[in-house]
Amino acid sequence: MRYLVSVITDTAHLATPDEQAAITVFDDRLKAEGYWVFAGGLAAPSTATVIDNRDGEAMFTDGPFLESKEYLVGFWIIEAPDLDVVLKLAAEGSKACNRKVEVRPFL
Amino acid sequence: MNRVDVREAITQVHHEEWARVIASLTKRFGDLDIAEEAAAEAFAVAVERWPADGVPPNPGAWLTTTANRKAIDRIRRENRRDDKQKEAQMVYGDDPDDPPEPLGAIDDERLRLIFTCCHPALAIQTRVALTLRMVGGLTVAEIARAFLVAETAMGQRITRAKAKIKAAGIPYRVPSAEDLPARLSGVLAVLFLVFNEGYLATGPDTDPVRPDPDRRGDPAHSPDPSPHAGRR
Repeated sequence: MRYLVSVITDTAHLATPDEQAAITVFDDRLKAEGYWVFAGGLAAPSTATVIDNRDGEAMFTDGPFLESKEYLVGFWIIEAPDLDVVLKLAAEGSKACNRKVEVRPFL
Repeated sequence: MNRVDVREAITQVHHEEWARVIASLTKRFGDLDIAEEAAAEAFAVAVERWPADGVPPNPGAWLTTTANRKAIDRIRRENRRDDKQKEAQMVYGDDPDDPPEPLGAIDDERLRLIFTCCHPALAIQTRVALTLRMVGGLTVAEIARAFLVAETAMGQRITRAKAKIKAAGIPYRVPSAEDLPARLSGVLAVLFLVFNEGYLATGPDTDPVRPDPDRRGDPAHSPDPSPHAGRR
């Protein structure tokens, strides 16, 4: 199964060098053990643009679709046999990046 | 055997076999929802037939076989579970010589069910409700009364939990020895609440949910594989 591990933060600052180093170690482990699919960090929500082309006339709106105190700052996509495996990995990921994470299965 | 005797026999079999039937079907079909519905249907068939036909010599096996047929019927009816994995499970489960997977130190098929229902990714109330339904065999109405919520709300909570277990890939197994101590304390917390529910009536009427609380924790009475588990 494939899971999205979202990294949630409520602070404006990016990962510190220590956090970045821990994330790299964790990433390498995911790759070495065959769990890795993809991962990435995201720029601040203020850099987002919302596009609505449902009516066939694209509307562009500055800013995120949802303003909130906590926001998505990065993610891992992990391939794992079941939730128990992902929860363990996510716990290590949370420790590595020093932030809360949310696990959600892909359909 | 008169009608009253048969009714008592069915009640007794329900107490003893409900969780086993659910556990067996969940293992075979990998789906709590199908297991629950098929088990309920099998008991409904028993209520219909046993007064006329008599109680079969091995009621548990009769119920499991009937429930298996009901589950296969449902899967065929829905006609959307045609992926090879499900087929493979059905074929695999048809083999009477199919050796049961070893359960480790504690040899009870129902334990898998308990560990799945008490998974830490589920909210504590949901774990208790799901355990009462799947392991204890209480009806949704009885559980709703115990929680002081509407039956529809409790039905939705249990349905959501079953959907999450399936969609999120919560495994149907007893955790590894390494993870067992941490997971066991979660299970014991739920069993403790279930036990309390057995003799402390929290519902508006004063009767306890069910009269025999001891039985609820039964499968967990086996030897504790970790000397410190559950004591934290």
